[in-house]
Amino acid sequence: MRKPTLLLALLLPAGVSGLAAQTTYYARLGAIGASNLLRDIIVNEITVRQSIAPMLALGGSLPIGARGYRAGLEGTLASGKFHSSERGSETDLGTIRTATIMLQFDGPMYRALRWQAGLGGIQYWPKDKAGIFREGGTFRFLAGAGIDYRRPVMPKWDLMTSLRYDWHRFSTAELEQRGFSQTQGVSRVSLSVGLSRSVVP
Amino acid sequence: MSRPMRWSAAALVVAAAACSDIATPVRDNFYEWRLVVPKATGTGDDSLSFHWPQSRVPVRIWVENALSLPDNVPNAIAAWRTAFLYREFDATVVSDSSSADVIVRAGTAPGTQFARARLHSALLPECSGSTDLDISDDHSQLRLPVRVYIDAHSDPNAPDLPRCLALTTTHEIGHSLGIWQHSVAATDLMYFDPAVDAPSDRDLATAEMLYHAPANVEAVGP
Repeated sequence: MRKPTLLLALLLPAGVSGLAAQTTYYARLGAIGASNLLRDIIVNEITVRQSIAPMLALGGSLPIGARGYRAGLEGTLASGKFHSSERGSETDLGTIRTATIMLQFDGPMYRALRWQAGLGGIQYWPKDKAGIFREGGTFRFLAGAGIDYRRPVMPKWDLMTSLRYDWHRFSTAELEQRGFSQTQGVSRVSLSVGLSRSVVP
Repeated sequence: MSRPMRWSAAALVVAAAACSDIATPVRDNFYEWRLVVPKATGTGDDSLSFHWPQSRVPVRIWVENALSLPDNVPNAIAAWRTAFLYREFDATVVSDSSSADVIVRAGTAPGTQFARARLHSALLPECSGSTDLDISDDHSQLRLPVRVYIDAHSDPNAPDLPRCLALTTTHEIGHSLGIWQHSVAATDLMYFDPAVDAPSDRDLATAEMLYHAPANVEAVGP
């Protein structure tokens, strides 16, 4: 997956002058929530979950074909708390940052709505190397899909609202060392608003 | 198998993989941590189980500036911290002994002023340690602070003294976090006469387990 990602990353800033096409760049701010990172049992059930966190998304896309399909690259950054829950009481486990990079495709759906789907990776960066992240962060493969709504607000500028879902399987080196096997499916949903700009070469 | 059936089967496999949870390890590698004492009233024994509640974490530890304790206590805290995945226990060194939950001093433990229960550790010939627990008569409360004593028996320049002091400190901090019983295995740091430098996997598993088991002794004060 690295080669197409690198190619797109190189083409997007170059404005794709060779392609008679519109390159679109965008930035969005929003919030992201996730399902449990972990479910454990030590006498009682313990779950670990990220709190809803602010998120920044940056990306760009190029048209492919004549039917309105586009290919692009999107990165997101989110930073928030995570906590464990046991018998109804919560313990703050610190701050976790996540970054994703995704190679994605989008296409027309209905009027100003566009579908989007992609594959990529997610990196977890704990602020402190402790607990489940004692051996540091972890990188996992990621799949995602979503819907974008775009409404022109100025020439070349669109207001962009995005609802995204992504999924990955989570574990860490510390958990593996302690004998946890398999991985935990983690679903994340984000809602974000931003601006996109079209550049015609 | 027809094509739709193949796709359905594949979709089911993917869905099952997507929804499955991580598999937790079997945790059975621990030893008895509860302090067994004669019942406060009547006959028989009480098994006393204690761990610091979340409201008191991080536990405040005051350390006397002697016998390398200012170095050894933070190292001991760090060693025990590795037992925990969910921040069940943590501790910090404080400068004011009057507000400390645990007081660590150098020297011999005094008479029985605070020692309703004294967890004495024989340790190497160079040094010894003890942890004094002031437990209420009805065995329901641990009156703070917990008092830990680390005593050097040998010449301060004896080659094995630094190691003895370090492992003794980690052993006694193990008592103060709630392991109120000695392990019967010499490979564990919580053995009554320990020979290993750091908590073993069994020590760490015991510490982790005791923080999820119900406690019947509650910390009170200061």
